[in-house]
Amino acid sequence: MKILITGASGYVGSQLVKINAIKKNHQIVLASRHRHDGVQQWVHFDLNNVSSCTVPESIEVIIHLAVDTSGNDEVRRHEVDAAKALIDEARKIGAKFLFASSQTAREDAPTNYGRTKWRIEQEVLAANGLVVRLGQVYGGPERGLFGTLTSFMQRLPVLPAFIPSPKVQPIHVDDCAEGLLKLVDHKSIKSGVYCLASPEPISFTQFLRSIAISRVRRRKFFVPVPAFLVKFTTGIISKKISTRLGLNRLNSLFDLPLMNTVADLEIVGLTLRPLSAGMHKSGNDRRCRLIQEGVALLTYILKEKPNSNLVRHYVRMAEKLRTGTALDIPVWMIRWPITLTLLDDRANTSLWQREEFAWRIDAATVIAEASRQGAARFLGSTKTMCPLTALFRMAVAVSSEIAWRLMRLVIPSSFLGLSKKKSL
Amino acid sequence: MADCFDVIIVGSGPAGVSAAFPLVEAGLRVLMVDGGKKATLKSPSRPYLSTRFEDEEQWKWMVGESFHALQKINAVSPKLRAPTHAYVFDDFIAQNKIKAKNFVAVGSLAEGGLSNAWGCGVARLSTDELADYPFPESEIAKSYETVTRRIGISGANDDDLSDYFGLDVWSQPPISMDVLHQRMFDQYASHKQELTSLGFRMGRSRVAALSRDIDERKACDNSGNCLWGCRNKALYSAIDDLPSLMKHKNFFHKSGFIVDRVVKNNEDLAIEGHDAHEYMTFRARKILLAAGTLATTGLALRALKYESSVRLQSCPTAAFLLWQPRMLGAARVDSFSLGQLSFSLKFPGDITAFGSTFSTLGIPMSEFIRHMPMSKRYSADLLRHLLSSCLVGNLFFPGNLSTTEITVNADGEMNIIGGYSSSVSGLMSDAACRLRKSYWKLGALLMPMSFTQGLPGGDIHYSSTLPMQHDPMLGQTDGNGELAGLAGVHVVDGACLSALSEKSHTLTIMANADRIGKILAKKIKGIN
Repeated sequence: MKILITGASGYVGSQLVKINAIKKNHQIVLASRHRHDGVQQWVHFDLNNVSSCTVPESIEVIIHLAVDTSGNDEVRRHEVDAAKALIDEARKIGAKFLFASSQTAREDAPTNYGRTKWRIEQEVLAANGLVVRLGQVYGGPERGLFGTLTSFMQRLPVLPAFIPSPKVQPIHVDDCAEGLLKLVDHKSIKSGVYCLASPEPISFTQFLRSIAISRVRRRKFFVPVPAFLVKFTTGIISKKISTRLGLNRLNSLFDLPLMNTVADLEIVGLTLRPLSAGMHKSGNDRRCRLIQEGVALLTYILKEKPNSNLVRHYVRMAEKLRTGTALDIPVWMIRWPITLTLLDDRANTSLWQREEFAWRIDAATVIAEASRQGAARFLGSTKTMCPLTALFRMAVAVSSEIAWRLMRLVIPSSFLGLSKKKSL
Repeated sequence: MADCFDVIIVGSGPAGVSAAFPLVEAGLRVLMVDGGKKATLKSPSRPYLSTRFEDEEQWKWMVGESFHALQKINAVSPKLRAPTHAYVFDDFIAQNKIKAKNFVAVGSLAEGGLSNAWGCGVARLSTDELADYPFPESEIAKSYETVTRRIGISGANDDDLSDYFGLDVWSQPPISMDVLHQRMFDQYASHKQELTSLGFRMGRSRVAALSRDIDERKACDNSGNCLWGCRNKALYSAIDDLPSLMKHKNFFHKSGFIVDRVVKNNEDLAIEGHDAHEYMTFRARKILLAAGTLATTGLALRALKYESSVRLQSCPTAAFLLWQPRMLGAARVDSFSLGQLSFSLKFPGDITAFGSTFSTLGIPMSEFIRHMPMSKRYSADLLRHLLSSCLVGNLFFPGNLSTTEITVNADGEMNIIGGYSSSVSGLMSDAACRLRKSYWKLGALLMPMSFTQGLPGGDIHYSSTLPMQHDPMLGQTDGNGELAGLAGVHVVDGACLSALSEKSHTLTIMANADRIGKILAKKIKGIN
């Protein structure tokens, strides 16, 4: 299919072009103010000057992503006009129309941005188009609000923890792009508003903390800030300054309506990656989790931090011989590897994950042993040891084993994880 | 290489080289072909303990760059997991189209065959045991001597197993024992009487490992790397015999050649097969099959178009762990890690079992941890203090107690279905009981739950699929190993043994190959 995209150089747009290029599904025509180098197909389009837009007849779908975030009233009016013009073009050539809106879109939204989105939505729906409301977009290149937050965090030693904390519903930028492309492909989709975001809202503070840990890789201190202070400040300072500081957009966070996205995600056929996975630079924390698993299993066997070589062997092993993904071992076990003893019980290997865990712990033992560290741990002494000392240490080992077995009896199995079925 | 050879030998393992020597020395033109797999990893260059404590690269030979040890984690023996030995077993099952059920099928396409990774156990068959064979004992006695002197055997000792092994006249003195075995052997000296009533006799193991240098091969220096590969070449491998064979101008070696079939057109004998590049045919007056029992059986049955089943003998086997409480806290010391002491165990009904005990040092501890009924972490805690006072033992029963059957279908696929006769489980529990009592008198506890019976074929003492008989029928061989129904094709490896005793059978295979080689040399020379 041939798709026209406005705002293709933006945060979501550029990822959409990238993903489409990998999948080689559709031919993309860019609509922008200036022709960029190397762009094959291009149509002139200016949010502030609608008269100049003509869409070629061969276009089957228009995805309207372009937006001006400067917040100027003048610009807002132009935005609505530009959208109207595009919708007209779409109607003329019989193209499907997709508009990327926002969680803030509402008739009585506190920001101009939200109200503009709502007005455009109405136009799109009137023309039987599709409206896609996106949640809090994050991940990938540091752009959009996500980019602003990340760069703030790199500079600020402390961060605000608003009280009460606003709730956001994150969605990875690649999942946005994926969702839009799925809507393009969808044969029988009806005109309407589709909400794409995590069904589970999280607190904004939690969202910031996740950026700090996985992106900025620094622990940050959070200082409680009453939410009304932000509203108050926005009210007294000039619009220009508050826009520059990003307070405007921040303010809109405090008034987000909850989106019920479960049904829409199902209709679109989109599965979102978890926040912990998406926050990584690669957009995927598979390897990172495998490393954590390796460190935990090897530490459990060796009773000390494993040499990085061993962890590398473990990860390569899991990628070469097994599924290459980490098992769902509970986080507290990863943090305190000694507690893996609770899972290291061959009697309970009926579930796939348990069986796989048993295999991996055997593999970790073999890998751990074949090292200098392993020799010291496994071989015992090259000097004679007092038999009583040896006997005592063996007794300690056996009693520890018994103690853990008793714990295993008490702790319900559901608490130990690894109960998922094999996913292909 | 010219058009027609006097003899083609398929396989360069212990049987192949043993048959080759008399033929080559008689001046005959001999072509030897083998699968050509060669070692790619070097054996550890320093003693086991110092390598383990100091070598950063040890995982390469313990686990392997492509995780060989983990890929083979379900294999029956640590040897099959050792990356240094991966080439020995590589691709054999696929090339020979083998499907095994309830049976451990192993073979080799390597130069030198399975002897690159063997346990080096040797023994000579007694007069009684040779009664099953269709030739006089005197015919093979000389061959036992020839082979023993060539490969080098140690363990000569005036003990209760001297007659059982029957090799001391030609053997080197034993390799020194570790303290655990020494103590046990001392205990045996003072408890002999009580143990004889249990049918238990003990002596030094006789092994094809040098305690004195022979030419290029150096004596064992107790490096403890037996499982991983001996840098001294103290352990015999048939590959060490190839250079002396190559010195002869009438000996030709075609390495990397897989024989697909043996063909006979009128009086014309040939092998057809392929190397990495092309399909080839070699002709000869005689063809000797020494590809190892499984591969040889496949080639013979395919050539005969024999589709009924044949019986394969292999020794029912078990392994166990012994603990010497008095040695608790003993230091870890490098030592010879193949058999140090052996035992024979007599049962009512004229059945004898045989076994040896080994140091636990050269074996990775993860091998033990895997079988512990405990979590890995505390197993390691326990075993690091326990294993230095432990020994592992193995046990073999005679091969006629196995009921394994092989069939080769019209497509050339080999199906092996393993099994033991019904009396085996009773014998095993009897053996566990007798061993427990015997070793207890020697100050060692047979660890509860450690006595484990192996899967059929786990001994890798395969034999007697094409047994030598006085009046061979189709699928059998005569006293010279010649296949009934396929004149000129001789079976010289384990496949032609008339019976399989509990003793290690490699030396008998070699002596028999030497015997047949000598007979054929005379015959062919006579015709010339």
